[in-house]
Amino acid sequence: MSIMEINGGSVIAMVGKECVAIACDLRLGNQALTIATNFEKIFPVTDRLYLGLPGLATDVATLRERFRFRVNMYTIKEEREITPETFARLVSSTLYEKRFGPYFVEPVIAGLSPVPSASGKPEKWEPFIAATDLIGCLNFAKDFVVAGTSSDKLFGVAEGLWEPDLEWEDLFETISQTLMNAVDRDAFSGWGGIVHIITPDKVITRTLKARMD
Amino acid sequence: MDHFPTNWGRPRNEKHDAYNTYPLHDRPYNGPKDSFAEGVQRTQQPIVTGTSVLAFKYKDGIMMAADNLASYGSLARFKDIQRLHPVGSYTVIGAGGDMSDFQYIQGMLEDLIIEEENTAADGHKLGPAEIHEYLSLVMYQRRSKLNPLWNSLLVGGFKDGQRFLAYVDLLGTTYTSSTIATGYGAYIAQPLLRKAVEGKEDLLTEEQAREIMEQSLRVLFYRDARSLNKFQIATITAAGATISESRTLKTEWAFAEGIRGYGAQVQ
Amino acid sequence: MPGEMAHHPQQRQFNPYSENGGTILAIAGRDFAVIAGDTRQTEGYSIQTRYAPKVFTLTDKAVLAVNGFAADGNMFVKKVKQRLEWYRHAHAKDMPLRAIARLIQTMLYAQRFFPYYVYNILGGIEDDGTGAVYSFDPVGSYEREACRAAGAASSLVQPFLDNQIYFKNQKAAPGSAHPTHLPLSTVIALVTDSFTSATERHIEVGDGLEMYIVLASGSSGQGLEGVKGLRELSTKGEAERVFVIRRDLKKD
Repeated sequence: MSIMEINGGSVIAMVGKECVAIACDLRLGNQALTIATNFEKIFPVTDRLYLGLPGLATDVATLRERFRFRVNMYTIKEEREITPETFARLVSSTLYEKRFGPYFVEPVIAGLSPVPSASGKPEKWEPFIAATDLIGCLNFAKDFVVAGTSSDKLFGVAEGLWEPDLEWEDLFETISQTLMNAVDRDAFSGWGGIVHIITPDKVITRTLKARMD
Repeated sequence: MDHFPTNWGRPRNEKHDAYNTYPLHDRPYNGPKDSFAEGVQRTQQPIVTGTSVLAFKYKDGIMMAADNLASYGSLARFKDIQRLHPVGSYTVIGAGGDMSDFQYIQGMLEDLIIEEENTAADGHKLGPAEIHEYLSLVMYQRRSKLNPLWNSLLVGGFKDGQRFLAYVDLLGTTYTSSTIATGYGAYIAQPLLRKAVEGKEDLLTEEQAREIMEQSLRVLFYRDARSLNKFQIATITAAGATISESRTLKTEWAFAEGIRGYGAQVQ
Repeated sequence: MPGEMAHHPQQRQFNPYSENGGTILAIAGRDFAVIAGDTRQTEGYSIQTRYAPKVFTLTDKAVLAVNGFAADGNMFVKKVKQRLEWYRHAHAKDMPLRAIARLIQTMLYAQRFFPYYVYNILGGIEDDGTGAVYSFDPVGSYEREACRAAGAASSLVQPFLDNQIYFKNQKAAPGSAHPTHLPLSTVIALVTDSFTSATERHIEVGDGLEMYIVLASGSSGQGLEGVKGLRELSTKGEAERVFVIRRDLKKD
C-alpha cells in the first residue's frame, strides 16, 4: 500500500477568465476506514492565493505550518505580499530540500498574480495555477492541475468538461462536477467537497453536498 | 519488445541479470518438481539466441532482414546462422529468440507444407496469411501449456497480388503493420523504418527499400551488442521469395577514437 | 556448486500474460447501441501497431469489444464466433443477445483458474428491440448496463460517463427530469470526446478510433446523417443495421 493512499484525498485547480478555482474533497481515512469527513486540504496563503495539500495527513499538517512560517518570514523581510509564481518556487525548493526523505504530499497552487501597471497599484490580475510532485517538480499548466488518489479520474473528467475562458459561475460548476464525479469513483476520496473561486475582488467559498458512501 | 530474449515472457525487473549473463551463470532449477514431472523438460529460458529481425512493405512486396549471429549469452557463438527461412512458395519467416526452438518450427512448417501441398495435392497453396495463422495458433497453444517456443517471428509474403507482413511471439501476441522490427530493433530500427516507409509503401522501389534496410541494419550493428554486420536480406514479391547470400556491411569506427568509453583508451 | 543451486533456484517463471493497452467503451440507447475502441496496440512503452482492431461484429445485432492481453482477446473472440456458428447450424437463427452474454460468462468462467486476461463489453440489440450493453470481468462476472468503459484509460473515461450519461451529481431543472435515453447524435459526440480526452492523457490510447453502431429494426438512424468516416456494414436490408465510424486519433 502506497503512503499516498493511507489517508486518501484529492485536489484540483482550474483556470477561468480572470479567475481561478481550487477544490478538494473532505475525507480523512486510515486505509479503508473513514476517520473524518471534515478534513480540508486547501489553505489560504494570501488574499488571492491558495494552496492545496493532498497526501499523508501528518505531512499536510506539518507543511501547512511550514509554509505559513516561510510566507510570514518572506512578507516581513520583503515588506510585500508573495506572488503565486514566487510561492510556487518556495513550495518546490521546500520539498526538494527533503529530496531523499520526502514529505508525502502533492501540492496544488492556485491564485491570481498581479500584472504590474504604470500606477504601481495592480489593476489587472492574471490567473495562475501550478502543481508539483512530492519532491517539488513544478508543473505550470494553462488549463487545470490535479493531485491525490483520484488524479487519473480527475484528469479524465476535467479533460472532457473544461474549456477556456469560463466566467467564475461556470468555472464553479465545471470544477465541482469534475471533483464530485471523479471522487465518486475513488474509494480513498470523497465524503463531501469544498471549492474556492478566486476573483480579483472576492473569494467565493462553497461547500459541496456530495455522496457520502 | 525487450531486446534480450532471456527477458521475454517474464515480469519486467531490472534487478535480475542486469548484465545479461544468462545463460552462462545461475540458471533456474529445471529438475523434477513432483513425481509426475520427471522427464519433462520445458524451455524456461532461451540458450542460443538471435537478435532483431526487420521487415517492411515496399512497392513490389515485402523486404525482410536479419543478421547471421546466434549468441550464447554475451558470447558471439555462431556467426553463420541463417535466421530467414522460406516457407512454401509465397512466404519467408524471420526469427529472433531461441534458435533451437526456431529450428523446431522450421521442421514443423516443412511437415505442414508436405501435408497441405504435396499430400493433399488439391492445387491449394499456403500463403503468408495461412502460415501466420498456423504459427500464431502453435505459439498460443504452447504458451497456454506454459511451455513456450521462445521466439518472436515475422511472417512476410506476397500472394494473389497482396502483400502480407505480420508478427507473432512466444505469448501468441500477433499484429500486422507496414513496418515491423523485433528485439532491439523495436527501439532503434522501428522509428527509422516508420519515418522512411509509412505513407510511401506503394512508392518505394526495391533499390530504395534496400538502402533503407541497410541503413537500419548499420545503425543496429553500431548500437546492439548482440548483433553482427553480416546479414541476409529477403524479398518476397510477385516473382517469388528470394533470400540473398550473406553480405557484410562497411562500418566506420574512426569516430570512436574521440569518444571516451567507446574506443580503446586508457583514461 | 551445482547441487547448491538446486536448493536455491532463482525462479523467474515464465509469465504467460502481457498487457497491450488501449481502451474500449459501449453505450446503449433506446433503440441503438454504440460500441467503440481505439486501435493502438502496445507492449511496455512501444507501439506495436497503430491498427489492431479490438471491436468485432458477432451477429447482425451483436458487437463485442475485447481489451487486455491481445493474444487472449483474439483467441476468445475466435472461440465465441465459433460457438455462435455452431448455434446457427443447430437452430437456423442467430443467438439472441442475452444468450450470447450468458455464453460469454460460461466461456470465461470455464477458464477460472487460468483466465483469459481480457475485459469484454458486449453491445447490440435485445430481442425486445432495446439497445443493450453487457460488461464482463475476466472471469465472467457480468451485468447489463447503459454504459461502460474498460481498459487502460477506463479510470479516466468512466467517471466522465457517469456524469454525462447517468447525469450523476446533476439535478434536473425544476419541473423537468433527466432523459432516460440519449439521442444517437449525443452518444456519438460523447464517445468521440471520451476517446480524444483519453488520448490526450493516456500514453497507451490513440492512433485510431473504431465506433460500431447497431440500430434496432425500425430505428430512424437520426443523428448519423453527414457523420464523417461513416460506413454501413449491413447489406441485405435486414432488420437491424450496423454501421462503423472510423476516425483518426492523435498518434503521439
